[in-house]
Amino acid sequence: MSDGSAALSSDAASVDVGTDADWQRLHPATLALSIVRLGPRTVNFLPALAAIGIAGKWIYVLPALGVFLLLSLAAAWFGWLRFRFHVGADQIAIESGIFARQHRTIPFDRIQDVSIEQGLIARALGIAKVGFETGAGGDTKDEARLDSIGLYAAQALRQTIRAHRGGAAPAAIAPAEGGATDAAEPVGEDRLLFAMTPQRLFVAGLFNFSLAALAVVGAAMQLFDNLLPFDFNIFNPVDWFDLAERYGLEQWVVAHRWVAGVGALVSLLFIGFASGVLMMMLANWGFRLTREPRALRRTRGLTTRTDVALPVRRVQAAILVTGWLRQRFGWHELRLQGLASDGEKEKDHQVVPFGRLAEIDPVLAEIGMARPPAEQPWQHSHRIVALGGFVGAGIAALGGAGTIAFGQPLGWIALAAALPIAAGAWISAHFHGWTEIGEMVAIRSGWLKPKTTLLPFASVQSADLSIDFILRRFGLATLVFGVPGGSSLGSHEIPAIPRDVAEALRTRILAARTRP
Amino acid sequence: MTETAAAHPVDPFAAQALNAVEGLDPVDPAYGHVLRIKTLFNALPIAIAATMLDLMVVREIGGPYGLLTGLSWLLGAIAVVTFPARRAQRWGFKIGEGQLRVARGWLFRTDTIVPFVRVQHIDVGQGPVERWFGLSHLIVHTSGTHNSTVMLPGLRSDLAAAMRETIRRHIQTDFA
Repeated sequence: MSDGSAALSSDAASVDVGTDADWQRLHPATLALSIVRLGPRTVNFLPALAAIGIAGKWIYVLPALGVFLLLSLAAAWFGWLRFRFHVGADQIAIESGIFARQHRTIPFDRIQDVSIEQGLIARALGIAKVGFETGAGGDTKDEARLDSIGLYAAQALRQTIRAHRGGAAPAAIAPAEGGATDAAEPVGEDRLLFAMTPQRLFVAGLFNFSLAALAVVGAAMQLFDNLLPFDFNIFNPVDWFDLAERYGLEQWVVAHRWVAGVGALVSLLFIGFASGVLMMMLANWGFRLTREPRALRRTRGLTTRTDVALPVRRVQAAILVTGWLRQRFGWHELRLQGLASDGEKEKDHQVVPFGRLAEIDPVLAEIGMARPPAEQPWQHSHRIVALGGFVGAGIAALGGAGTIAFGQPLGWIALAAALPIAAGAWISAHFHGWTEIGEMVAIRSGWLKPKTTLLPFASVQSADLSIDFILRRFGLATLVFGVPGGSSLGSHEIPAIPRDVAEALRTRILAARTRP
Repeated sequence: MTETAAAHPVDPFAAQALNAVEGLDPVDPAYGHVLRIKTLFNALPIAIAATMLDLMVVREIGGPYGLLTGLSWLLGAIAVVTFPARRAQRWGFKIGEGQLRVARGWLFRTDTIVPFVRVQHIDVGQGPVERWFGLSHLIVHTSGTHNSTVMLPGLRSDLAAAMRETIRRHIQTDFA
């Protein structure tokens, strides 16, 4: 076991004891977890309570709530009682369902890796949720999981499955650049590829400046204005006046009105930065990316710790993202597109949330990819790609002008926004480009949020050549690639390149064989 | 049309022109009838609804009575008579060299290539209208998120079955 999993184990955890011959149940603490989960679920019951209340029968509210809780607990208990799993020599079987029984068998051969996830309460209880990544497409909800077993049991189970896979011959299906990297790597040894120190997290959080939390805070202040123990809205300059008044600064403040404005601005900035840092800390605390025999493994999280493995052979594409400002400081983010989605929200896997290119290159090397060298010439998309932005700007300008004509001064905002939109589209158009490195195509785009996609030819399942009536006029075409696994950063496409170039590139890409 | 027209001196609206230039096979002309009947089923309710609106509302409020009815039936008739055959001609396909190529549309033309080895599974389907004309449609599924299904309509049923067999054989040989 690597250091990552050692860091994961927080409290003592008991190993499950099989009830039947070899069948095991989930950890009993799972029941405690389900009690905790009842809290939010009670909200579902509120309409019924309200109905009873409206009927004037308040006396029944408490018994009804009690019955609801009791039934929920009974359901959880029976669910626990009727759920059992069996770890065999080369497969795992799971039986579940209170009335409708479901029996599922997963051969170890088909399990790409085992993910371990621990929420805050699960950590206190020493249990963990185990997910089996089989690479089957479709819904993540349908994925097999053990929710939850003891942490040590989870780690032992993962070891068992991994040991089994280690002994077997490499799988036949291999949609990733295997060969060389597989031979070179030391078997059975985990190497640390990337980690986030608290200092790094702090810097990353500063770049993560977010005013999203501000909206929440602002809304909450509006909502709970009367409930707050203090009467102070930090966004309201008038409140800053009051504060100054209270401390006898009245005269001075009246003379220097701008101080109040600065106060509001400073708190605005503070909240933006603080929420950015906080969100970064919550998500990426203790971030570690390690190389295991078959997979890249990532552990992270402050409250909810996740332990996810991304099989190297299943990596379909690498996406390098940065921002206009953070690029100036040399910071980048690396995401990998695998077959499975990362958790429930994200579609691709963030493997380097915030790092230097020098740190990203070794990670890319592990999956057999490389950034295009600096001297590599890029081919550019036609500037016509800015047209969409221009049309948007035109619509904004027209709408704004129309609104002003109707006597609504807010129209000036739309009119003023039109020019930056058009300029942004025009500048962004200069950054669209692609280049070819061996059996891989690199696509870059964006100016405010530069993105570079590294797409191995072998990942491409189908290719579209799209020509609309505007592109046809210029003899251009857009190439759109069908790649397994989703990316939250949009589809892979090279927009508006000369048609013959596009056709030749498509032929080259599709001629590439599935990697051995 | 300046550059493209110079490169390919063909009237882009001429029957079969687009497919011939790109080296594609046309789908069965009967598919035009299938599209026509489907368009009819779509246009008829709209025209009837427009007529009802004309009768009940426009006449009551003293608007230009009859305009809406005439326009909707005229446009509907044009849509049913003229466009379906043209739309059918814009579909093209080519099967060979280990890949399936499907092109469709003109204003927004999309030309898709799926290598046989990338095909996950194949469907051959037939709707009631298609059955009437002895046509089927072929659907190939890939594991890509974009283009997870590629549909090719307007194939004679025996051709669709033959294509399915061709593709199926390639899937098998890749795994063997």
